[in-house]
Amino acid sequence: MNIYRAGWLAKLLALVTMGFLMLPLIAVIPVSFTGKRYLSMPEGDWSLRHYATLLSSPEWLGSLLHSSVVAVCAALLATLLATAFVIAIWYRSSAWTRWLIGLCMLPLIVPPVVSAMVLYFMTTRISRIAPGLGYDSLPGVILAHTLLIVPFGVINMLVAISRIDRRIELASRNLGASMWQTTWMVILPNLRLAMVTTFLLCFVLSWEEIAVTLFITSWEVVTLPRQIWGGLRDNVDPVVAAISTLLIGIVLLLLLTRMAVNSWRDARRPG
Amino acid sequence: MTRMSERWQHRLLLWPLPAVLLLCYVLPFAGIAVWSVTLPEPGMANYARLATDGAIHAVLWRTLYLCATVGVLALLLAFLMAYCWLYSSPGWQRWVELCVFLPFWISVLVRTFGWLIALRSNGLVNGWLEALGVIDSPLALTRNSLGVVIAMVHFMVPFAFFPLVSSMRQIDDRVLLAARGLGASRLRVFVSIFLPQTLPGLLGAFIMVFVFCLGFFVIPAILGGGQTVMAAEYVFLQMFQTYNWGIGAAICMLMLVLVSGLVWILLRFSRVERLVG
Amino acid sequence: MHQSHQQDCLELLVEKARRGQIDRRSFLKAAGMLAALPLAARSGIGWAQDRPIVIVNWGGDAIDAYRRAWTEQFSRETGIAVQIDGSGPTEGAIRAQIASGRPSWDVVDAEPFTSLTLGREGMMRPLDYSLIERAKVNEEFATDYGVASYLYSYVIAWDKERFEETPRTWADFWDVERFPGKRTMYKWMNGVLEAALLADGVAVADLYPLDIARAMDKLDELRPHILAYWGSGAESQQLFLDGEVSMGQIWNTRAIVLDRDTEGRVGWHYDNACVTPSSWAVLNDNPAGADSTMRFIDHALEPEGQVELLKLLGNGPSNPAAAAMIPEELVELNCGSEENLAKQFKLDIEWYADHYGSVLDDFLTRTGA
Repeated sequence: MNIYRAGWLAKLLALVTMGFLMLPLIAVIPVSFTGKRYLSMPEGDWSLRHYATLLSSPEWLGSLLHSSVVAVCAALLATLLATAFVIAIWYRSSAWTRWLIGLCMLPLIVPPVVSAMVLYFMTTRISRIAPGLGYDSLPGVILAHTLLIVPFGVINMLVAISRIDRRIELASRNLGASMWQTTWMVILPNLRLAMVTTFLLCFVLSWEEIAVTLFITSWEVVTLPRQIWGGLRDNVDPVVAAISTLLIGIVLLLLLTRMAVNSWRDARRPG
Repeated sequence: MTRMSERWQHRLLLWPLPAVLLLCYVLPFAGIAVWSVTLPEPGMANYARLATDGAIHAVLWRTLYLCATVGVLALLLAFLMAYCWLYSSPGWQRWVELCVFLPFWISVLVRTFGWLIALRSNGLVNGWLEALGVIDSPLALTRNSLGVVIAMVHFMVPFAFFPLVSSMRQIDDRVLLAARGLGASRLRVFVSIFLPQTLPGLLGAFIMVFVFCLGFFVIPAILGGGQTVMAAEYVFLQMFQTYNWGIGAAICMLMLVLVSGLVWILLRFSRVERLVG
Repeated sequence: MHQSHQQDCLELLVEKARRGQIDRRSFLKAAGMLAALPLAARSGIGWAQDRPIVIVNWGGDAIDAYRRAWTEQFSRETGIAVQIDGSGPTEGAIRAQIASGRPSWDVVDAEPFTSLTLGREGMMRPLDYSLIERAKVNEEFATDYGVASYLYSYVIAWDKERFEETPRTWADFWDVERFPGKRTMYKWMNGVLEAALLADGVAVADLYPLDIARAMDKLDELRPHILAYWGSGAESQQLFLDGEVSMGQIWNTRAIVLDRDTEGRVGWHYDNACVTPSSWAVLNDNPAGADSTMRFIDHALEPEGQVELLKLLGNGPSNPAAAAMIPEELVELNCGSEENLAKQFKLDIEWYADHYGSVLDDFLTRTGA
């Protein structure tokens, strides 16, 4: 904990910045309660009609389902691939390792629009062989999302595995365990928490992905961001305000819970 | 178990991810490179147009200019937030964290939508300014580059915040206290002691924000009003509206070269492990 | 989710499915979301065997209007479900669909020159006039790859609260002194170059072939006053609803809806507007095949549905037989009536078929730069 303290000017400016950061989130909320059928501030005509539309429209519910399936599968795949890769380079690094890590970082470094074009190319090529697995299909979108989010998974797992004491591997090997046994019985149990956080991070990233999804889907697969995009671009629809308000509410709730848990833990910690 | 199978076990762990990436990412990449020299017909025509077409230059320069502007502004705000987070009470820290994390976890579409509402002629911001008597008629805050910059800065602040915090953390605050104790003003301490030590972190964060901005097209597409087209949205138009895949692919290749250069600088001049750590 | 609300949602879903508004897959998806598949199984809805048809139009209010005028009745009669995608079948978007190797669109509500250009390149199915009754439209409107679905028009619309006078011509549109405020025009160029040339003093008879350079220069003149180029009908509506623009070149259909939504605040007329048909066309290798899509097109050429659409959204019927069925109060809304056609000029489809792709590229680069 630092003892040096920021001055009043810095704090005042920071307060203004905090207002700036919250402004667009706050702006959305009242609009979602408008009684009119188009985007407007409610003027006494508060209504829940756009929430009702949200919960009764097959398009919106379907997009929630699509997003859930895609995000769970992609996050699972990314976590598994990243974990195996990270464990392998932790066991044994070679001259190749740096290049392999660089390769895994590519989708993170390459601008999203370039990734989008690349993955469009990839999915449409798959479509020519197997139409149900490529462009505008669930497997295609899951694969594309997995590739996009896997760098974050690798970073997260690398950080976690670097904290493991190398001697436990040696101990396990000296006791005669094979690499397989060591991985399953010694390393993975130590990485359990990291895998969970990696999964959650990847889930959120896939859940929010829009740039690439726009390129590789059309009509069959409509994820929630894609549905919102449609609502924004083609039809500035107050239902978008309703779903936005719900999403903001959920994130706020999770963050506040975490903050409460943290401060409770701090308070209990002696000293 | 034999040595051979040990080696295979290792390979089985190591190769799935690189193999998938090579097959489904790097290989299609070559496809894009091929598009850029074969569509609509074989030759370097797309690159020639890239080099000579004034209108495309305008799009590219605007992209660079806007990304740089966004980079500087986002850095300023993130720096302020990081500074106040590091040097304040736990209560303050919690509020700063909430204001950084909440937007960070919320979809870019929701945030863009929020700005669309806040910045409209009859939106929140214009309403407040009019109520305060600052302006008589609404300012044009959206459907132009101003709106795009505002929303992109908002998007980038959390991304710049994390690397800045981790680079500021390495500064020993006892030095700052000592300087204050010796009679230096807050400003003096900040300019002569604090700022120089954060420069590598600033450079790294700037490049990161700049690279992220380059490939962005959701915000310009929604807030730009069709008149602030940036490179990424231009590629999108070339793909799905005017069907010039060749020129779109060529612009992608150009962006890639630019990003590679920037990443090289990042790796060369700032210690990247400090940024992610 | 609250129990009774869940029940409400389900009933709504079941109702929608009975009316054929949604197909089996979306229904199951949504019902699954409500965790009520057992009820869905007992609801006794007969699902059609044919693949649902995906119709692509220009979004917003047109989605609901098409349902009420055309697709609900079609589904009732044939048992074929129809879904409407409002993402806008521009020429580039259709090309990208075909190029993806897996088009998901069936019928598009596209510009006639788009059907023509893409048909010539083998991307569209030739229309099967044994299933579509050719005589339902005027001869010029039934071509190999497209048949006129309705007529619409790019009109001048304005916000009456911003100025007293009525803007009549495109020169007025360019006159920001007499008619202050921001403007909006169509992003995908149709009618925009024509408007610029007319404002610059070109006579209607001399419009085509368009003098592109001159039109672009005239557009540059208005540039500081153009707030946005709208890419979808709903976007143009929102710009007027929010009072962001004082005048715009928008579809007559959306102008009519705006007039209603704002209780007369937004005015519009057919003077100097640019009228053109829209066309039904079917993608090659489309998922639903030829038969059901051709039947749908034939259905959509019936006068009753066309008059219904005129009521809902203001699209002018393409079937001359509809003229006699139009209620008196709607006659003046019909952009295809004798009287209204005289006020407007016709978009030259041939010119667009030959030039659209390359000129659009220049146009987008210029307006976006």
